[in-house]
Amino acid sequence: MEITRKNFLIGIGGMGALSLALAACGGSPDTSSSGTGKVDGTGKTLTVLFSTKSQYPEEQKAWFAKTAEDFKTLTGATLQWETFASANDEMTRIQTSVVSGTGPDVYGLGTTFTPTAYSTGAFVKMGDAEWKKVGGKDKFVPATLGISGPDANNQIGIPFVSRPFVMAYNTEMLKAAGIDKPATTWDEFSDHAKKMTKPGQYGLAIAYKDNFDPWKFIWGMSIQGGNPIIDGKKVRIDDPTVLAAYDAYFGWLTKDKAVDPASVGWGNAQALAAFAAGKAGYFPMTSPLSIPTLDKSPMKGKYQYALLPMVPPGQTARPSGGVEAASILSGDNLVVADYSPNKDLAFAFIKMITDTAAQANYYKIFGEIPTNVEAAKSLKSDPLVAPALDAASKSVATPFSGAWGDVQLALTNIAVQTIPDLSAGSVSESALSGRIKTAQSTAQAALDRAK
Amino acid sequence: MTSEIAGNTLRDEATRPAGGPPAPQNKKRKGVTERDRPLWLLAPGGLLIAVIILIPLVLALYMSLIDLDQYTLRKWLTTPFIGVENFVEALTKTDLLRSIWISVSFAVVSTIVTVPLGVAAVVVTQNPYRGRAIVRAVFLIPYVLPSFVVATVWRTMLQPDGIVNSVLHNVGIDPGLWLNGPMSYWTLILVEIWAAWPFIYLLALAGLQSVDHEVHEAAAIDGALWWRKLREVIFPYLKGPVSLAFLLGTLNHINNFTLPFVLFGAPAPADVNVLPILVYVTSFQSFRFGLSAAMAVVSLILIAIPLFIYLRAVKLDVSDDGGKK
Repeated sequence: MEITRKNFLIGIGGMGALSLALAACGGSPDTSSSGTGKVDGTGKTLTVLFSTKSQYPEEQKAWFAKTAEDFKTLTGATLQWETFASANDEMTRIQTSVVSGTGPDVYGLGTTFTPTAYSTGAFVKMGDAEWKKVGGKDKFVPATLGISGPDANNQIGIPFVSRPFVMAYNTEMLKAAGIDKPATTWDEFSDHAKKMTKPGQYGLAIAYKDNFDPWKFIWGMSIQGGNPIIDGKKVRIDDPTVLAAYDAYFGWLTKDKAVDPASVGWGNAQALAAFAAGKAGYFPMTSPLSIPTLDKSPMKGKYQYALLPMVPPGQTARPSGGVEAASILSGDNLVVADYSPNKDLAFAFIKMITDTAAQANYYKIFGEIPTNVEAAKSLKSDPLVAPALDAASKSVATPFSGAWGDVQLALTNIAVQTIPDLSAGSVSESALSGRIKTAQSTAQAALDRAK
Repeated sequence: MTSEIAGNTLRDEATRPAGGPPAPQNKKRKGVTERDRPLWLLAPGGLLIAVIILIPLVLALYMSLIDLDQYTLRKWLTTPFIGVENFVEALTKTDLLRSIWISVSFAVVSTIVTVPLGVAAVVVTQNPYRGRAIVRAVFLIPYVLPSFVVATVWRTMLQPDGIVNSVLHNVGIDPGLWLNGPMSYWTLILVEIWAAWPFIYLLALAGLQSVDHEVHEAAAIDGALWWRKLREVIFPYLKGPVSLAFLLGTLNHINNFTLPFVLFGAPAPADVNVLPILVYVTSFQSFRFGLSAAMAVVSLILIAIPLFIYLRAVKLDVSDDGGKK
């Protein structure tokens, strides 16, 4: 094997040299730090990769420009923004940057993508010195650090914003159905949904076809039942808690008939639209990002947020070992590339946008919850957002494993392949068990490969 | 058969300098091209081919033999060499063969339907009439729309509560689910046909434009009626361009990622888990770059075999002696 490989490498040696040469071309001198804490970046350029906000393109453009201006004043360096539109885009950028050793200095990553980024080993691990440069670890809400790394000593992600999941509810519909407070167990949730369903309106707005929502429900209900899905070296998708979760999730449509049958074709945006049109009582798995949409709809003033139920389906209290998980730990982390010649500048930039005033301002523009302790505290007085802050502090990180992407994919795939059954009105136990079995084996294979 | 001979005669006529004697054939004397070929002039083209085609191909081959994933991406030159393990896994543990079958069958069915559509469209716009330019322009609309837009519009129309189902409900039909389940395969074919037939139309149009005016006249003088003229005069001319269109169309269908991705999302429903989606999910959601490279290589080989047979069968060759093997 070795010899064959050697021959092969000789054959493509030219290409290796080529990529090395390309990598060398992109090099530039290191940033100087004056030792006083202030970073002088005059004449230098810091490149930052962020995801595009399709909901607020103009606002984002303005924020980019303003932030670049502030950064120039602060350090003298030029800030260059780059954006990606999808996870595919993002991975391609990371891939090419990692292989060539050049590319953006700072990346904004979704929290659940952080384990994958960590597994590439291409990002700076945060030691005491690094945390100090961004203003200290204490300035962040502790729960938001839950998915920065596999443990407290190996963190790469610096929390930037938090997007905890909550449910929105239609206050008038709940009142009309005689429900005085939102459900706190999943069984109660299903009862309420049935009560609110009548001609022209449904108890729930669920995005069954969404490419992300389904796994969040299943993971949430499972962890509340004590199953973190990845348990050490073992994947537990074939656990009874997962089957119960799917049963409840699909049952809202097939058994309770409390969901619009058309929702088998809905993504999260369409479910939100149904709720905004006043056609559903509960809209679970949303975040304060939906405020701008809802405030422009007839629902303005007629909705509130509440924590998602935290008692697993079929139970009246959380079993021992069950976790009080209100939401997955969701939001964006910032990571600094290991190859970056401008690390000090990068940390200065991160410090700037995670400071209290900057975070409060970011919330005002985009509705994303601050990770900065002070900025988050000041929001507590707003009753609309308070449940989201509560959810942020009760968020639980998904397992920090490079295999998580595959687990998530396997859980979503079960929902995708079940849609024809859902549409037909019933999901047979045997079909569901078969899909769960397949998901278990692909996810376990991925975990076995994890390093 | 008659038509083929006629075609060859025409071609021979065309290659001969008008009015001049046949070129002298001195077999002993070597032409300049064979004696002293300035091959270095090919260097720029050769370099481009190497950079654009050969290097990525060799890289893909190499990637398919190593255990390249998110954990080893950073040090890909020292990634463990695992020989054919990726291939074994691709063939035995993934949906690869099923995806290839779905992709190829969907592509062939789409092409078989689009070819007559495209040819018919060419024929109906051949003779001038009022408004022909508008009709020709309208024919091109599906082709100029970006795939993303086409897929988004169709997806919106085919939602369970979309316009298509509403209309069908009104006439008493319950069509069921378009974008998942067994019907999704036919949805994919339908949308692909809608978006791709103008491509056949364009190539057939080019073929028809090359029919000399004299040929039409000769057919008219000989008293050929429209069907006979079409079958024995026009179609032989179209054989080359349409065969090419068949080939390119099929390959385009197999490689189409945007349409199924936007229509069905990823992970895709099992019935439309086409090859590009499978490779995408393996690469960018499971981050198994080595495995997905192996998948690409296997599918390249599997698709190249029938392609080769097809090329031999239709003798699709543009060189002068192409058809004389």
